[in-house]
Amino acid sequence: MIGVVVRKELLEMRRSPVLLLSMASLPATVVAVPVALFAWLLHAAPEQALTFVQDVYGVHVPGGTSAGVALALGRNWLPMFLVLPMFLPILLAAQSIGGERERRTLEPLLATPVSTLSIVVGKSVAALLPAVLITWAAAALFCLGMDGVAGAFLLPDSSWLFGTLVLSPLLALFGNALAVVVSSLVLDPRAAQNLAATTVLPLLGLLAFQLAGKISLGPGFYLFLAAGVAAADVALIAAAVRLFDRERLLTSWR
Amino acid sequence: MRDAGRGRGVGSPRLPAIEAQGLAKSFGGRPACRDVSFAVERGEVFGLLGPNGAGKTTTLRMLAGLYAPDEGSAQVAGFSIAAGRAGGPELRARVGLLTESPGFYDRLTARENLLYFARLQRARDPARRCDLLIEQFALGEHARRPFAELSRGMKQKLAIARALVHEPEVILLDEPTIGLDPEATREVRNLIAGLAAERVTIVLCTHHLEEVERLCSRAAFIAGKLVAVHEIRREALLRIELAAPFAPDGVRDLCRSLRLSGNTLFIEPRAEIPEIVAALVRSGARIASVAPHRDPLEDAWLSLLAEARER
Repeated sequence: MIGVVVRKELLEMRRSPVLLLSMASLPATVVAVPVALFAWLLHAAPEQALTFVQDVYGVHVPGGTSAGVALALGRNWLPMFLVLPMFLPILLAAQSIGGERERRTLEPLLATPVSTLSIVVGKSVAALLPAVLITWAAAALFCLGMDGVAGAFLLPDSSWLFGTLVLSPLLALFGNALAVVVSSLVLDPRAAQNLAATTVLPLLGLLAFQLAGKISLGPGFYLFLAAGVAAADVALIAAAVRLFDRERLLTSWR
Repeated sequence: MRDAGRGRGVGSPRLPAIEAQGLAKSFGGRPACRDVSFAVERGEVFGLLGPNGAGKTTTLRMLAGLYAPDEGSAQVAGFSIAAGRAGGPELRARVGLLTESPGFYDRLTARENLLYFARLQRARDPARRCDLLIEQFALGEHARRPFAELSRGMKQKLAIARALVHEPEVILLDEPTIGLDPEATREVRNLIAGLAAERVTIVLCTHHLEEVERLCSRAAFIAGKLVAVHEIRREALLRIELAAPFAPDGVRDLCRSLRLSGNTLFIEPRAEIPEIVAALVRSGARIASVAPHRDPLEDAWLSLLAEARER
């Protein structure tokens, strides 16, 4: 039944090109801005400024200042690619239950024998898939852009590979499951969307501290984060199923 | 529609398709319905009548496994519903529910919508079943159009098709003609009449008395609580106003049924009307007027409603 729900959700999404375009607009910005900034820095900034950037972030690699700045930018910008897969599906997942209710499709859905687990997992996976694929495409474009401008193969490094291939899907599932939980509790889809969107704040905080040079997030941190998020994913899916009260969803208007 | 209501469940054919006993449900302390008890035989079309807010939809939702009753119990297609425990997935797989609003996805086509629900309802050979229903409901031309572009009548027909897509044992129809124009209303009523002719078990929830009179064999009146279960007479009655009290025993042989209410005689004729009138006159009756009596359900409904309000 999960497959049936996923297929329907993806079909609906495909029928809304504006929705997919709007999902791609943020990743396009996240890729274009740092690559353009890097190209402009190499073109316009004096050598001392580039050395200063390397010193601030403590990145000293063979290959000259351009490679150092590219790696510094790449490592500092990685958390943004962890925010993306969390943020993108929230817009879809937060609508998952409340949206069904607003469109009056919830009653016929709940009148079928489909299990709560199938609804929750099906909707989560359907929101997660495009978000993860868009994030991977954006990450590939970012790495290609940075390597192209630097004129050397620098990215992805091990942190990037682990971050995008392992951590991104886990975080996407986390954001999704949380959005489904919120959507089950707060039935106004707009309120659910706003509440669920706040889940990216801790990651944005990490990004801000890293960019300010206050912390340096390395492979150890990402490994630790992955373990924590994986455990949180399981707990959230279980909570989403538990909190999915069929009768309340049909009768409550809050 | 041939096999729309054919059972594939475990319910014994000798048991009623639905048996509700003292169902009650309230929301936030406000009672929606109470003391609802009735039984629906297999192959019967049963009406659930009541004004808006009388608890009809709540009763239907309890029978469909969407709500758990606060009190009472029910058996639907051989599966139990008890106080605090709604019907499970097995019950929902054997019930077809037409919801108040069609409730489909605007961006999917009519066929995609139907196929989605056919799969969720575990229909056998869902694609073939969908195509069959689309053809039978004359939706073929519109099957590949997005749901949002369909007319209200087509949307309702598609919703009825969804209620039948998994060949349920029991079909619950909630206000099937609400908001439809006269042409679409007639089409939907004809569809239900077609199902009734095939002996599909249907509970028809409505406040249109003429719908119940035309389609149902019995109807339960609900106004907060169950008021009465009424047998529907489709045969035209004869209403004879008498100028003086009279014992009509002499004409019983000419009538299928005979009821005297004050000085008004309600007759379901077995013989020709002039013959009955002549027999009455011969027996000494003083007849003031003779007229067909066409609306017995409305009378029964209004008097029951008035009684319920007085109480």
